[in-house]
Amino acid sequence: MSDQDGSDQSSGAIAKLPLAAAFVSLAGLADAVYLTVHHYNAEPVPCGAAFDCEMVLTSPYATVGGIPLAAFGAAAYFIAFAFALLAAFGNRRTWSLFGIQTTLMAVFSGWLIYVQVALIGAFCQFCLISAATSVLLFILFLASVVFNRRTA
Amino acid sequence: MDNQNKSKSKLPYIIIGAVLLLVLAGVVIGTGVLGFGAGWLSAQKPTPTPIRVYKSTDMQNTTAPANLPPGANPPNQSGSPTASVTLEEFADFQCPQCAAKHPVINEVKSLYGSRIHFIFRDFPLDIPAHDKAYDAAVAAEAAGMQGKFWEMHNLLFTNQSAWTADPNYRQIWGGYAQKIGLDVAKFQTDMAGIATKSRVDADKQRGKVLGVNSTPSLYINGVSIAFEQMTFDGLKQLIDAELQKTAPQAPPANTANTNK
Repeated sequence: MSDQDGSDQSSGAIAKLPLAAAFVSLAGLADAVYLTVHHYNAEPVPCGAAFDCEMVLTSPYATVGGIPLAAFGAAAYFIAFAFALLAAFGNRRTWSLFGIQTTLMAVFSGWLIYVQVALIGAFCQFCLISAATSVLLFILFLASVVFNRRTA
Repeated sequence: MDNQNKSKSKLPYIIIGAVLLLVLAGVVIGTGVLGFGAGWLSAQKPTPTPIRVYKSTDMQNTTAPANLPPGANPPNQSGSPTASVTLEEFADFQCPQCAAKHPVINEVKSLYGSRIHFIFRDFPLDIPAHDKAYDAAVAAEAAGMQGKFWEMHNLLFTNQSAWTADPNYRQIWGGYAQKIGLDVAKFQTDMAGIATKSRVDADKQRGKVLGVNSTPSLYINGVSIAFEQMTFDGLKQLIDAELQKTAPQAPPANTANTNK
């Protein structure tokens, strides 16, 4: 069997961690698309009593060059989903790329949490869900690294 | 066997393509871009229900706080103080949604004229992202000291993105003061004075006691209006209903003559 594009399909088994990561990425993608649609419709999102979504989502930190951060988030989650799914089907190279990407996403999510806490002084639950999703993806990748080292 | 492997290797790409199509369809339908879907989305939205907060003409049945402060006196107002319908807006000059609703409010004001009583309340939010909001409210009040509150108010909202991004925003406001014919020296002095700040604080105190926690917040005869209803049509519907309640013989406003 050929191993073009870095595939390792000898086992044919769907890897569990990358598959879980693909599903988590889909959740993050749905959250980001929801926020993007609300941004372009100029509509407030339903917000819990402990949150102030409008304050966060209409702050200067919510857009870059007029494009909502949520749109960038949606693109990032879609790419993460694609990498994770390909990895689930045996492509090891995309799992490494997934690892690099989710590390950056987790770091960026940390910065966004800092912005909400220290600069805006308000929280948006959809932003927190996105941050949790990013961190979970990173944890899944770390778990795969640890698991591989133990079994090597 | 080879065919089976080939079809299996294609499967993730098929799934990725399907997800991409779903996302694109979701965005197109959700935003109504390409002229498709917006009607469907709005049809799915439940009609927002205004939350009754208080009613000044019916205080015995009110849920208004007992010690509701009056706010700045006299308030920044337009229309007729004796009108049966009062719109009270709490807004922050650095809030993008407030700037977005500014033309809607102006349109409503010009449609109803003296048939409504419009009151603008300063409600600068205490958040780092709105670091110039309090000063902006004071600037509008300082212009008000020379009878030009609304002129400054309009300039602050319509040029919001220009001055919020500029560290020399006070100079920009000085330019606005000159543009609307203020005595700029007096404007600067008033901005530094206590009288203007007291007015901002008084409005804000009223908003806080009312429970305002985001901007813009709008009340029609004491009833808090959901943000989704702060459209020209939404407000018109509510105001017409209030006008009919208090003066059944008054015909509803005709939008055809006033749409700009």
